[in-house]
Amino acid sequence: MARLTLEHLGKTFGAFHALDDVSLEVEDGQFVAILGASGCGKTTLLRQVAGFDRPDSGRILIGDTVVSTPLQQMPPEERRIGIVFQSYALWPHMSVAENVAYGLTVAGVRGSERTRRVDAALALVELNGFGERRPAHLSGGQRQRVALARCLVTEPSLVLLDEPLANLDVHLRASMEREFARFHERTGTTMIYITHDQAEAMALADRIAVMDKGRVLQFATPSQLYREPADPVVARFIGDGMVLPVDVVAVNADASCQVDLFGYRLRMRCAPARTPLGAALACVRAASLHVMATGGQGLRVRATGVIYQGGHFRVEGAAVADADVALHFTVAEPCAVAPGASLDVSIDDGWVIPAREA
Amino acid sequence: MKIANFRNIAIAGLCALLTAGTVAAQAPKGKLVLYTSQPERDAAQTVAAFKKAQPGVEVDVFRSGTTEVMGKLAAEFSAGAPKADVLLLADAATMESLKKDGRLMAYPEAKVDGLDPAIYDVDRTYFGSKLITTGIAVNTAAKSRPTSWADLAKPEYKGQIAMPSPLYSGAAAIMLGTMTARPDLGWAYFEKLKANDAVAVRGNGAVLTAVASGEKAYGVLVDFMAFNAKAKGSPIDFVFPKEGLPAVTEPVAILKTTQNPAAARAFVDFILSDDGQRLAASMGYIPARASVGMPAWYPAGAKIHLMPTDTPAVVQANSANLKRFAELFGN
Amino acid sequence: MAIATGVRGRTEDYVLLWGLVGLVAVLSMLPLARLVLEAFVPEGAFSFDAIRHVLGSASTWTATGHSLVTAVGGTLLAAVIGGSVALVVSLTDIRGRNAFVFCYVMPLMLAAQVIALAWIQMFGPSSPLLRMLGIAPPLGSPNPLYSAKGIILVMGVQYAPLVFLTLRAGLRTLPQELLEAALAGGAGPMRVIRTIVLPLMTPPLLAGVALCFVSCLGNFGIPALLGIPGNYPVLPTLIYQRLAGLGPGALSEVAVLSVLIGLIAMVGIVAQDMLLARRDFRTTAAAIEARPFELRRWRLPVEIALWTISFLALVLPLTALLMTSLVPAVGVPLTASTATLDSYRFVLFAHDAARRAFVNSFGMSAVAALVIVTVVVPLAYFLTWRRSRLLHFVNLVSEAPYALPGVVLAIAAILLFLKPIPLVGISIYNTIWIILFCYIARFLVLGLRPVISGYHQLDRTLEEASQIAGARLPRRLLTVILPLVAPAAAAGALLIFLTAFNELTVSALLWSTGSETLGVVFFSFQQGGDSNYAAAIGMLTVTVSVLLMLSTLLMAKRLPRGVLPWRD
Repeated sequence: MARLTLEHLGKTFGAFHALDDVSLEVEDGQFVAILGASGCGKTTLLRQVAGFDRPDSGRILIGDTVVSTPLQQMPPEERRIGIVFQSYALWPHMSVAENVAYGLTVAGVRGSERTRRVDAALALVELNGFGERRPAHLSGGQRQRVALARCLVTEPSLVLLDEPLANLDVHLRASMEREFARFHERTGTTMIYITHDQAEAMALADRIAVMDKGRVLQFATPSQLYREPADPVVARFIGDGMVLPVDVVAVNADASCQVDLFGYRLRMRCAPARTPLGAALACVRAASLHVMATGGQGLRVRATGVIYQGGHFRVEGAAVADADVALHFTVAEPCAVAPGASLDVSIDDGWVIPAREA
Repeated sequence: MKIANFRNIAIAGLCALLTAGTVAAQAPKGKLVLYTSQPERDAAQTVAAFKKAQPGVEVDVFRSGTTEVMGKLAAEFSAGAPKADVLLLADAATMESLKKDGRLMAYPEAKVDGLDPAIYDVDRTYFGSKLITTGIAVNTAAKSRPTSWADLAKPEYKGQIAMPSPLYSGAAAIMLGTMTARPDLGWAYFEKLKANDAVAVRGNGAVLTAVASGEKAYGVLVDFMAFNAKAKGSPIDFVFPKEGLPAVTEPVAILKTTQNPAAARAFVDFILSDDGQRLAASMGYIPARASVGMPAWYPAGAKIHLMPTDTPAVVQANSANLKRFAELFGN
Repeated sequence: MAIATGVRGRTEDYVLLWGLVGLVAVLSMLPLARLVLEAFVPEGAFSFDAIRHVLGSASTWTATGHSLVTAVGGTLLAAVIGGSVALVVSLTDIRGRNAFVFCYVMPLMLAAQVIALAWIQMFGPSSPLLRMLGIAPPLGSPNPLYSAKGIILVMGVQYAPLVFLTLRAGLRTLPQELLEAALAGGAGPMRVIRTIVLPLMTPPLLAGVALCFVSCLGNFGIPALLGIPGNYPVLPTLIYQRLAGLGPGALSEVAVLSVLIGLIAMVGIVAQDMLLARRDFRTTAAAIEARPFELRRWRLPVEIALWTISFLALVLPLTALLMTSLVPAVGVPLTASTATLDSYRFVLFAHDAARRAFVNSFGMSAVAALVIVTVVVPLAYFLTWRRSRLLHFVNLVSEAPYALPGVVLAIAAILLFLKPIPLVGISIYNTIWIILFCYIARFLVLGLRPVISGYHQLDRTLEEASQIAGARLPRRLLTVILPLVAPAAAAGALLIFLTAFNELTVSALLWSTGSETLGVVFFSFQQGGDSNYAAAIGMLTVTVSVLLMLSTLLMAKRLPRGVLPWRD
């Protein structure tokens, strides 16, 4: 088991910054997700950690060992890590057992010891008896599990998973998610999970690093990301949040503050030390917005679209005071809101995004 | 040295001394390298028959046109590493020039009984193995039939004649030297041939192909090629021109630098032996030792009129002749 | 602290890489460097004598002129035929496409000199074929093929498939929508071809033309059989005759001639390179094809026309060849009573040199194929997945011995190996080893290109997975990569075998007793007037080649696309 440390990692391709001063520390035994849209740099990060690429600046340590610097690089075959590839990368000319046994063969483990460990690994992923099959005759989910078994049989200190569920059908994903979670519980391996799907990340990870344009925007627990996003990008990305321009009027001692939103006064959570008075951005979730009964004094919103989502409607709209400020919320069926209508909305919770540290 | 008229040999027939079994007390063995300009098939048969007579000897053969064989030899001489042990080349003139350069090993004990002394070198450095005459080959469908060399200069033969280039074939070089030395033919004759659109092709093989395939109706060709093809059914005939036929003797010789003199001598013995001579006759050549019998095509009781060749003079004039021929007929 | 190794990777990776680079350098650069050296420093002394003598000689320029005439003429003919066939095959809905491509490309894989002999046997007063049909020309008619026109005709027909393949590969990348948009706009098929297809396909077409030009320029077999009898020398045959007639003494002059032909060929090679940007018909992965033109009532006539072209180019000459191999001697008509298998019997059993040639050709072709494939699998790994300027240069250089005419490499090899190899003291001159060296150097790219193509179609994560599992490069190459590129490697090996088996150009200059190849024996028979023996050998080599090509159809599914030219 090992800790993974990334120190000021940088990588440029020409003028493009694939990684921009990335620092991260993953504790031993943690399950960390690297979350971001495509092009954010998460794949580059994984390849650096694996050793397929070298950084232009910074260092990578696995445990106490420096494995990557711009000048020196420990080759992948020596790092004792495991990877589950997006495409599984099972060798088509070998059987399942041979695929799983490969790492042991390389390490010189032979005979009954090797068979025992291969069988144990297959049992761990619930593929007992599949040893003689060929990868071509397995379903996507089964291949995924073989890839996992192959990764684990050598008992690596660190396991990287590169969007492992991207190629699976939706209904399989849920069961595989459970698989990974169970696996992590049982073995306590440090796992780095790359994904663009926030639901997966939130469900599985102890902590999530949200990446955008080569930088880590926030590294925190799923709950913290949801409730206290450090960045407008994070706020929008997680839970489909809305970012609204507010005016901080007063900061209270109990980590809450009074804000003014186009004349509508409300109370939001904030980080007192980092929330100056004046203009700021706030993160508000759809669940916090409610349509007020006629005559209520809330935020004036004009609805621009109403979309049925099965049992409820998603109403999209914009603030009457500033049409560029987009909002959305849900209304249970039947919906009394029509497109073009103006209504008042109350907001019962929000989070003022703290100012960037100097 | 003049090659005498072989009529005497043919009719009178020198009594052939029984060539005793020429197997030496100790059978020769090892490798023997032969360079020859014989046609492929004949070279193969000669070597096969020799191997039967001397099973302990391995023969390596290099076969190509005379010019090419000489070129290869020249290269090896200049590199100081000649590989050949024995040579079996088309004509005595080539051997003369090698002898002059001191490249040949004399074999005084060679069994030359029954052979006309004109056939072998007085110093016993090379020995003629057979008689190859050059005459006129005619496609059986041809309209006219020439009877003399001079006929080929006539208008009805225009554009229908192929001849082997002396730049490539040793026998053709001898033919050129012999004919240009005669007052009744000379260089004027070749100029007339050129005016008659005769073409010089690479070697007798090409002449045979041209005449037998009908691309040319007439050709200047060596006797055995025409007759062997005729025997297999090719539509070709051979004419003995009135003025006579130039001839080469295809001599065999041993190189001074031979690695295996015992086997080399055994090879010469074989060529000159009755068995070797009978083999030559069976391949369609007129043998050097007439007593073993003539080849099947030889008209019984015939007298073949040969053109005498002044070999040293031919050797002397050779390069000048070749140059003049090249200027006339192209390279 | 760190157990890191150098950023460049492990030492053994580097040993392997440099070993391969060194090997390619020895095979490709060394002979050519030695050749150029000889031109300027003949026999050890710096002098322009050799250059002056050769360039001042009329025969040089006659041969050069003839070379250019036949190469340009052959290329034009090939471009017209091959280009038209490519357009029809690629853009229309004819049936039996796979079978047709197989038959059409086949002559390209057969020996050029055998095809030349086959054509010779189709014409002339004694052609068994014409005789049987009763249309043989009268006595005294020369064979029309022994002329510049004959050479151009046979070369054009022989190399048309080269243009066909290159253009077809280009046409495959043409998006269907472009043509459909034009058709929807009201343009007829000919206008579409003229205004859209040909302008877009100019690079592949010109690349095919350049490739064809270089092949025609360097070919020896066709002008040897058709030009020598008619006294029409071209540069390769001039080099051959000089060397055969004068021996190694003529090497300096022959070296200058080789450099001359090499320089002319370079024009074509550079042009092809610039136009195709490193892709050629053997490495194209096929995309979905555009087939917008429906022929409707023209379909059957067009199909008949196509198959007639293939028939004329392949079946007819081979039939003439077969008939020639069955007659007992030249000029004998083929009838039930004259037909005989004597030629085959002689060539297979009675003739020492021919028997040796079979063994030599089979053996050397097989060994060359094996050696090349062994070298090429790791080499292609580095070339595909480790980019560097050195490797790019190595890739370029490895093409030279194949792109340049064969005579160039042969002369270079003679110069290199005439004297014993220093330090080792062994001389490989005049042995099969010098021929084998040339085969390996010349045909390396034939193995390299399919394997590179195989690598491109490979998922790199498969190798990365084995790297993560702890395997170092040699083990990765052996256990993961080799099994996956094996089909491409097998295809390359087959191509190499076929080409080496059928070649004449190189072995004509390098052979000596004991190291004859089938091409050499064939040529020697033909020169000696034994056309029927030559025809027998020709038929045998054709049979072997065709059988091998057919066998790949069995392997069809497992082979990656685009590696075998006769497989569509």
